[in-house]
Amino acid sequence: MTIRKSATRGVAASLVALAAAGAVQAQDSLVIGADVDAGTLDPRLSRDTTAYRVTDLIYAGLVHLSPTLEPQPDMAESWESPDPQTVIFHLREGLTFSDGSPLTAEDVVYTFETLTDPDFNAPQLTLFAPIESVEAVDELTVQFNLSAPYAPLMSYLSMGIVPSDYAESGADLSSEPIGSGPMVLSEWNRGSDIVLEASDSYWAGTPEIETVTVRIVGDNSARAQAFEAGDLDVIQSPLSPQDIQRLEEDDRFGSEIMAGLGVTYLNFNTADPLLADPEMRQAFAMLVDQETIVNDIYQGVDEVATSIILPSSWAYDESITQPTFDPAGAAEKFAELGWSDSDGDGILDKDGEPLTVILSTHSEDPNRIQAVEYTQAMMQSVGVDAQIQITDWPSFSSGYVQQGQHQIALLGWLNLTDPDRLGYAQLTTGGSQNWGGYSNETVDTALEEGRTALDQETRAEAYQTAAEVIAEELPYYIISYQGYQLFWDKDLPVEVTADPRGNFRGMIGMPETAE
Amino acid sequence: MTAYVIRRLLLFVPMAVGIICVTFALLLLIPGDPASVLLGQEATAEGIASLRAAMGLDDPWYIRLGRYFADLAQGDMGRSIFQNAPVSEIILGRMGATIELAAVALFLSVVVGIGLGVLAAIRQGGIVDAATMLLAQLGISMPVYWLSLLLMLWFAVNLGWLPAIGRGEPLIPAFGMMLAGNPAPFLDSLAHITLPALSLAGNSAAIISRLVRTSMLEVLREDFVRTAKAKGMRRPQVVLGHALRNALLPVLSVIGLRFGALLGGAILTETIFAWPGLGQLTIAAISQRDVPLIQGIVLIFALIYATVTLAVDLAYAAVDPRIRLR
Repeated sequence: MTIRKSATRGVAASLVALAAAGAVQAQDSLVIGADVDAGTLDPRLSRDTTAYRVTDLIYAGLVHLSPTLEPQPDMAESWESPDPQTVIFHLREGLTFSDGSPLTAEDVVYTFETLTDPDFNAPQLTLFAPIESVEAVDELTVQFNLSAPYAPLMSYLSMGIVPSDYAESGADLSSEPIGSGPMVLSEWNRGSDIVLEASDSYWAGTPEIETVTVRIVGDNSARAQAFEAGDLDVIQSPLSPQDIQRLEEDDRFGSEIMAGLGVTYLNFNTADPLLADPEMRQAFAMLVDQETIVNDIYQGVDEVATSIILPSSWAYDESITQPTFDPAGAAEKFAELGWSDSDGDGILDKDGEPLTVILSTHSEDPNRIQAVEYTQAMMQSVGVDAQIQITDWPSFSSGYVQQGQHQIALLGWLNLTDPDRLGYAQLTTGGSQNWGGYSNETVDTALEEGRTALDQETRAEAYQTAAEVIAEELPYYIISYQGYQLFWDKDLPVEVTADPRGNFRGMIGMPETAE
Repeated sequence: MTAYVIRRLLLFVPMAVGIICVTFALLLLIPGDPASVLLGQEATAEGIASLRAAMGLDDPWYIRLGRYFADLAQGDMGRSIFQNAPVSEIILGRMGATIELAAVALFLSVVVGIGLGVLAAIRQGGIVDAATMLLAQLGISMPVYWLSLLLMLWFAVNLGWLPAIGRGEPLIPAFGMMLAGNPAPFLDSLAHITLPALSLAGNSAAIISRLVRTSMLEVLREDFVRTAKAKGMRRPQVVLGHALRNALLPVLSVIGLRFGALLGGAILTETIFAWPGLGQLTIAAISQRDVPLIQGIVLIFALIYATVTLAVDLAYAAVDPRIRLR
C-alpha cells in the first residue's frame, strides 16, 4: 500500500514506464461518473456540464484554459491585439481534425460565424455578441473584429473549432462529432455512457489514457457508492455533503476540494412593489443565516459569500461585504419602515396589509430546499408571513424566475470564469438575464467599463465599484461560493490535475497541456 | 376467443387517443417549455422567442395536437427535441432493458411471493407465519429508493460481490452464448441485473405473499379440500395440486397489475442503478420538457400495460375453465 501510494505521488514518467511494461495493464482506461447525459456533442450548442466536459476532449479551441483559467495556446500558437477592437490569432501549422482533414482559418471563421448567427440558437450567444466579424487573413491567420473592446473574450475562446466542410456537408455534429482535440468519440449510448478513444491527431501528442468512459449515474449517492465499489475511477461535484466527508477520509482515494466557479444566491425581484425599496431587501437579507446554511446544511463544502466577485478572481476585494445574519436588526428595520403587528396576529402589517413574501427554489436539490425552509423559519420568527414555493427546474427557472414572477428566489450561477459573467447580463439595466428588473446607473457604468477596459487593474476597480453597490442595494444576495470536489482512485496510472470547471484534460495523461 | 382478442386490441385505439390527449393537456398546463430549457439560464428573451417559432411551439394547441395525431396515424411518433432522433428509434433502443428488468423482477416477486404466502398459510399462527408476514410488512413499507441504496451498499460496496451500476449483455442473447459454450457474458448479465431486480421486486413480492396467504387460508377451509384429505391424499398434493390452483385465481389479476407497478417502479430503480432503460429516459424527457418523447414513452407504457392486462385475462381462462371469454 505504501509503495503504491508513493508511486502515484511520484513522477508520472516512471508510471508511464510501468504501464508500458504491462504491470498495470488494465489501467489505460478511465471510467468517470457524471450526473447527466450530454444533450449534444456540438460544442457550439452545449448547455450542460457533461457536454462541456466531453466536447472539451473531442474538440480544441483557439486557446485552452488552464486550471487557474489563464488562456494557454491550443489551436492558436500566438495572438496579438493591434488595437482594442481587433484580435489576431496565428494558428499552428499542420493542424488536422480527427478525420484527417486540415484545420485552417476557414474552420475558425465558420465556427464563430455560425455561433453568432441568431438563427443558430446557440445557448451561449450572449457571450459572443460583441464579435462583429471574423475573417481569415490567410490560411493560418484569423482576425476577430469587435464592436467594442471586450476583455472577457479570451476566456470564452476555448470554444471548440468545428470542421466547416464536414458540418456543411450535412453531417450531424451533435451526434457524430469530429474535432481536433485529444480524444475521439467511439460510442454513445444515450442516457448510459459516452466512450472516447485517444486521438492520434492532436497537435500536442496522444494522451496516455486510451479509453475514457463517461458513465451517467443520475443519483448523487448511488454515484458515490458506485465509485467506492470500484465501478467508477473518478467522480466529482455535484455530490451529497455526507458522501464528501466519507470519501475524503478514505485513503484509497485521492481528493481535491477547492473553490468552484459557482454561487448560490437569492434573486430579489426589484420590480415587485414589496421589494422595490433596497432597505426592505436589506431587512430580508439579514434573516438569511449564511453560517448555518453553509456549515450545517452544506456541511462546509461551500464557503460563506460576501459579494458578487469570487474569492479566486483577480477582482476580489475582501473589504466588500453584504449584510449578515441579524434577526434583531431585521426586526428593527421592518419597524423603521412602518411594519408593525397592529392587529396582534403575530404577523407584521402596514396599512392593513400583512407582510407576506414568497420564497422559491427548485425541487432537484434537497440542500436548496432545506436552505429555503430554514430561511422561512427565520423570517417567521420576526413576524414575516413567509411562504414557500418549490417546483421542478424548468417550471421554476423558465416558467417563473425568468418571467420575473418571483419575489425572492434561491438559485445559482455556474461557470463564472470571468467577473463579467456574474454582472453584465444579470445586473445592468435591461440586461438579458436581469429577471428582477434591477437598474442602477453606477452599476451600469461600472459593468460596462469592466468589460471594455483593457488593463486588469482598471477592470478590477470597476467590478469592485459595482460589487459594492450590489452588496448594499441587494438585487442579488450571494449566500455562498460553491465548492468543487474531485475524487479519484489512487491506482490510476496518471497524475490528476483538478480543474474548477470539472473538465477532464487534467486526468487523461497529457503533460504538455496540463500546466 | 380470437374475436375477443381482436375486440380487446381494437379497444386500445380509443384508450391511446385518450392517453395522448391527457398527457398533452398536462404538458400544456405545466410551466416551462423546451425552447427555454434548450437555451438554458443564459438565454435571451429574443433567442427563446425565435427558437419557439422555429419549433412550432407558437401554433395554437389544437394545430399541434392535430399534427401529432396525423403523424401518429402514419406511424411516425415524431422526433425528440433534445436527442434530435426519431422517438420510435430512441424508445425501441431502450425498451428491451426495461422489459427485461421488469420481467425478471416480476418472476422473482411471483416465485418469492407465492412461496412465502403458501408457507405462511400452511403454518398459520405459527412462528413461520409471523416471520414471513413481518418480512412482508417490511417489504411493503420500505421505499424503493432506500432499499436500492442499501442493497448497493451491502453487496457492491461492502462485500464487493456484485457490480453497483450498469447492465451487461441483454439476458437472452447472453443465454444463447452460454448454450454455445461461453457462459461468461450470461453470468455477468445476471450479476448486473440481480440488485436492481431485487430492489424492484421487494415491494411486489410482499404484496403477493400476503394475498396468497389470505387466498390460501380461504381455500384450505373449503369442502373439497377436506374431501381430498379424507380420501387419504398426501398433504403436499392437497396443498399444491388442489388448494393452490384455486387460490391463485385472485392472485393472477394482481400479478397483472403488479407488472404495471413494476414499470413505474423501474423509473426510480433505473435511475439509481444507471440501468439504461425507459425509466431513466422518462426522467430526462420530463425535466427537459421534451414533448414528443414524453408522449411516446407514455404511449408505449400504456401499450405494454394493456397487453399485459389482456394476457392476464387470457390466463384466467387457462387456469379456470369455468371462465369463458366472450
